[in-house]
Amino acid sequence: MKKILISTSILVLVILIAPFVLTVYGVYLATEIAILAIFAMSLGLILGYAGLITLGHAAFFGIGAYTVAIAGQYFSDTYVLFIISILLSGITALISGAIFLRTSKFYFLMITFAFGQMIYALVYQSSWTGGNRGTDVPVTLNFGFGEITSPIGLYFVMCFFFVIFYVLLRFFVNSPTGKIVKGIMENESRMRALGYNTLVYKLLVYTLSAIIVSVSGSLFAYFNMFVSPGITNWTFSGEALLMIIIGGVGTLFGPVIGASFYVVLQNYISTYTEYWLLILGVILVILVLIGRGGIIHWIRHFGENIFFSKKKID
Amino acid sequence: MSLSLILLQLITGLAYGMLYFMIATGLTITLGVMNVINLAHGTFFLVGSYITFMLVNQQFSFWIALVITAFIIMLVGIVVERMLIRHVYGKELEQVLLTFGLSYILVDISKMIWGVQHHTIATPDILNFSISLGGGFVFPAYRLFIVFIGCLFVLLLFYLEYRTRIGAIIRAGVDDREMVSALGINITMVFTGVFAFGVILAGLGGGLGAPFLGVYSGLESDILVTSLIVVVVGGLGSWKGSFIGAILIGIIETFAKAWFPALSMVTVFIIMIIVLLIRPQGLFGREVEL
Repeated sequence: MKKILISTSILVLVILIAPFVLTVYGVYLATEIAILAIFAMSLGLILGYAGLITLGHAAFFGIGAYTVAIAGQYFSDTYVLFIISILLSGITALISGAIFLRTSKFYFLMITFAFGQMIYALVYQSSWTGGNRGTDVPVTLNFGFGEITSPIGLYFVMCFFFVIFYVLLRFFVNSPTGKIVKGIMENESRMRALGYNTLVYKLLVYTLSAIIVSVSGSLFAYFNMFVSPGITNWTFSGEALLMIIIGGVGTLFGPVIGASFYVVLQNYISTYTEYWLLILGVILVILVLIGRGGIIHWIRHFGENIFFSKKKID
Repeated sequence: MSLSLILLQLITGLAYGMLYFMIATGLTITLGVMNVINLAHGTFFLVGSYITFMLVNQQFSFWIALVITAFIIMLVGIVVERMLIRHVYGKELEQVLLTFGLSYILVDISKMIWGVQHHTIATPDILNFSISLGGGFVFPAYRLFIVFIGCLFVLLLFYLEYRTRIGAIIRAGVDDREMVSALGINITMVFTGVFAFGVILAGLGGGLGAPFLGVYSGLESDILVTSLIVVVVGGLGSWKGSFIGAILIGIIETFAKAWFPALSMVTVFIIMIIVLLIRPQGLFGREVEL
């Protein structure tokens, strides 16, 4: 509890100070980081705490984003749009999860992959989504106290959501349910022998993370004011996985660091070369081969060596 | 819909199915024997078709180009397995990320060498004619040839699996890897060979498919998705499952494209869901422990 309070206050402090230090473009990037951090964090939840590798979560991001873009033509209320996107992604996740989670590891991976590509194909081929050209978002963010369109306003909104989800997931991970989920990842047959219905818990995490991802998708739609099919493609899920492995698997904060690293690096490299994906691929391969679980683990490891702590991370 | 049109669709579907079968077999054998998921499989397909395209442009005959392609892509496969895949055995997440990164690297290198435009390879002269089906419908001979190649390939696999020592080792490897190496068989060599074989199948599939699929970056994603679906429907590690799965998916996809083009992908996906609901381990997959 105390730890959550401390980490959250540091986070809030950083968020509040950042706009004074950063340039306008820096704030823009920070906003993007906040959105992607929500995505990566919630994918990190299902990966690092439930041990499920999914390549289809970009589909939920897309559901969130396209809900705002399409339903926004009929409803302008921000709350209504968020509720629609949460319901839509929640129901989709419940149904798809109930089918997908019955299978084993490799299957789950391949099926979520195929599922993501199906959503991509639907978005890409349909006329009401704007097809491959994408579509404009007709609404602006409004929580009942005026429209929020300024970069700094958007920045604070995205960061607000980010902090909320961070605290929420912290509590979830530390809750008894969170512990059970982690237990299932470590030894599923034992948890089943202890009388837990493991499928229900896995479905719960899957749906929870899908809903959070869809909210980040909706936020993205408000931020970008334009959505295109690319955000539902499996490569986007892969990139989110990449953020997690850069930052550190099995932690909540690792994916956040990974997302920041990713966005900054992407912007930096793509000003120099069009082959940014090549460099990304090389980084990814090197990271996997070095291993040791990402930046957050390096920092911890480093810290332990410096301070001669006896604590070992396992 | 007239009978000859249905026949036309059926043969087209069969041709696609045979192509999917070749590609998915590579994927499923790697999965079954090595427990390695290769997300760069579609990219090897793409690289294969690019190499064939380049060689045909250099005035090589299509058939010689195919042989050289198989050889080059085999070398690539061996290098990739020895240098990269070796380090991630038994680690699913690492496999996903590594092959994902590899696919990015290969796609961008292909873009550097061959550009982003849509290339085509002319159908080899000897097969560049059409067969009349009656009712005004003609069918390109090349697709029939693909079906023929697919059948030959099935025979080859049967022979390899049941009549050769390598086949026996691989069958044993799917069942119990440790026992195989305990019996004094160099399992690392087997793994390299299996991976290279899978990659060759992908590359050859790329070369063979190029005359009717075209050559362009972006193709790798579609191919990967389709072959993953085929593997899921057919069952892990079973090439016979892949065969049935591929034919099924090829035909259904072709008919879906003709009848409701916007939903062709969804139709294939629904087939996969139905199969999974009835048999979570795929049509020919063995029971898997969770």
